[in-house]
Amino acid sequence: MRIFLQGLTGSLLAAGVATAASGPALAADLVVAMPNWPSGQASANIIGLGIAYKFGLDVEVREMGTLTAFSGLDHGQVDVHPEVWRPNLDNLVKKYADDKGSVTVSLRGVPAWQGLCATPEAAETVGIRDVKDLNDPEKTAALDTDGDGKGELWIGAPTWSSTGIERVRANSYGYAENLTLVEAEEEVGMAAVDAAVATGRPMVFACYAPHHVFKLHDIVRLEEPEHDDAKWKIVAPADDPLWIQKSSAPVAWDIAHFHVAYAGALAEDHPDVAAFLEKIDFTPAEVTDMTYALQVDRRDPKEYAAEWIASHADRLNEWAKP
Amino acid sequence: MTDQRMHDSVSPGRRGSRRLTGKRLVAGMLAAVFGLGAIAAIAAETQVFDPKTREWVSYDRKKALKYYARNNQVPEAFRRQIVPFRTAEKPGTIIIDGNMHYLYLVQPGHKAIRYGIGVGREGFGWAGIVRVGRTAEWPTWTPPAEMVARDPSARPWANGMPGGPDNPLGARALYLYEGDRDTIYRIHGTPEPWTIGLDVSSGCIRMNNDDIVDLHSRIDVGAKVIVLMQGAALYKGV
Repeated sequence: MRIFLQGLTGSLLAAGVATAASGPALAADLVVAMPNWPSGQASANIIGLGIAYKFGLDVEVREMGTLTAFSGLDHGQVDVHPEVWRPNLDNLVKKYADDKGSVTVSLRGVPAWQGLCATPEAAETVGIRDVKDLNDPEKTAALDTDGDGKGELWIGAPTWSSTGIERVRANSYGYAENLTLVEAEEEVGMAAVDAAVATGRPMVFACYAPHHVFKLHDIVRLEEPEHDDAKWKIVAPADDPLWIQKSSAPVAWDIAHFHVAYAGALAEDHPDVAAFLEKIDFTPAEVTDMTYALQVDRRDPKEYAAEWIASHADRLNEWAKP
Repeated sequence: MTDQRMHDSVSPGRRGSRRLTGKRLVAGMLAAVFGLGAIAAIAAETQVFDPKTREWVSYDRKKALKYYARNNQVPEAFRRQIVPFRTAEKPGTIIIDGNMHYLYLVQPGHKAIRYGIGVGREGFGWAGIVRVGRTAEWPTWTPPAEMVARDPSARPWANGMPGGPDNPLGARALYLYEGDRDTIYRIHGTPEPWTIGLDVSSGCIRMNNDDIVDLHSRIDVGAKVIVLMQGAALYKGV
C-alpha cells in the first residue's frame, strides 16, 4: 500500500495510482480497466484516483478492451470497469453477472441517448427538426453534397451494430428513399459536422449523448415518435443475413444506460470500495464535460481526474460515506 | 457510437463505397466570408459571390481563367486564410472537403488555415482516414500509361517529367498512405492556379504552388488526413 496523500492536485497525481505505461513494478492492490473512448478514460482515472484517495489503496489504471476487461473481472486480474453500456453489452452482463455471478454491475446507470441530429442550418434554415421532415425531398435536397439531387446522411461507422439499425430506421421511416445513407468512421462523420458548421451548411447525422459534439456545436436533436418495444422489431444479425430488410423500427431508440461494474472478489475483499462504486452517480452533463476535456481540449486523463477530484470533494465524500 | 464499446480496436479507413453520379454539386461557400447563408450558395456548379453586383455567379473554367487574368489570384474564398474551426481533431490534422473545395489544416484555439483546392471532376468517391506517408519538393511526374497512349503531349514524359514550373504536380507533393501502403492519391501543387475552386478534368487534390509550399512547411510526415464523405472525389494518379 502506498502512502496516502491528500490535498492538492499535484499531490493527488503523486498518490497511489499507477498506469500501465509507467511499468508493472509491484502488483497494485486493485486494477481499474480503462476503455479507449474518452469518457471511459476520464471515469477510469477518476475512479482509480478516488479509490486511492479515499481508501489508501494502490490502484493501477490499465488500458484494455471490453472483452479483456470482462475476462479479467471474471478471473481476478481486473477489479473495476468504469463504463459498461447496456443494452449494448447485455450478452456479457448475462454471462458474467447473471449466470456466473463473478461480476457485479452497479444499479445506478448514466442515461445515454441515441438518435438523429441536425446542424443549426439544417434545423433553422432548412426546417429539419423532426424525423418526419426527412421524408420531404425538397428539404433533404438541401443536404446534397455530391450533385445527385439527393441529400446524404451519415449513419455511423461500418463496425457499429447501431449503423445497421439506423439503416432499418431509415427504411422504416421511409427517408432511405430520398437520402443516401453514408457509413464512415466517426472521425470522418464528426469532421464533416465541423466543416458543415464552419461553412454554415446543413447536415443531418446519427448521433449519441453524452458526446462532446453537443458542447462543440449547437446541435439540434430531431424529434421522433417515442420508443415502443412493440414496434422495435430488430432481427438479430447473427440469425439472418437479410436482417436489415426483415427488421422494422419506425420509432426512437430506447434509452441506454452505462454502469460501473466490479469483480465479485472486490465486493468480498473490499466491501467499502464496492459500496463506493455503487454510489457513483456521474450525470450526463459531467460525462459530456469529460469527453470534451479529453477529446477537444486534449487534457491528460490523469491530470484531468486529479483536478476533478480536487474540485468535487463533496461528491467523493458522499460516495465514500459508510 | 455506443456499440463501438464492444470492439477492442478502431476499424481502418473505408474506401470506395460511393461512386459519384451525375454532375458534382459544388456549394460556392462563402457564408463565412460574406456573411451570407450558405443555402443560397448551393447550386449545380461552383458559385462565387460577386460583391459588386451582390449576386451569386457560376464559376466555371472560363470565368476562372478570366478572373485570374484580371486579378492575378483566385477569388477571395479560395485564398489561404485563417478561419474559425471548432473540432475535436488535434492541430496538424488535415481535413479535405472536396465538395466545398477547401482543405483545412487544424490550428490551436479552434481555428484552421483554410486553403482553396481543385478536385477531380468524377471518378473515385470515398471517405476515410489516411496519412501523409511522404512528401517531395518539385516532384517528378510520370504520366499513367493510358494517358501516354491517349495524349500525344504526354508521350515525351513517359519516363518521367522532371520537377519544375510546368510540371503538373507543382512545387510540392504530399503522398497519402493508408497504413504503410501508398494510396496513389496526392495533394500537390499546380502550374494552373486558376483551376483552384473547380472540378478539373484530372488531378488529385491540387493547390496553388504558394499554398502547397505553405502547407508542406507546416505539416509533418505522418499527419492525419481526413477525407470527408461529401462529394469526396479524388483521382488516381494525376
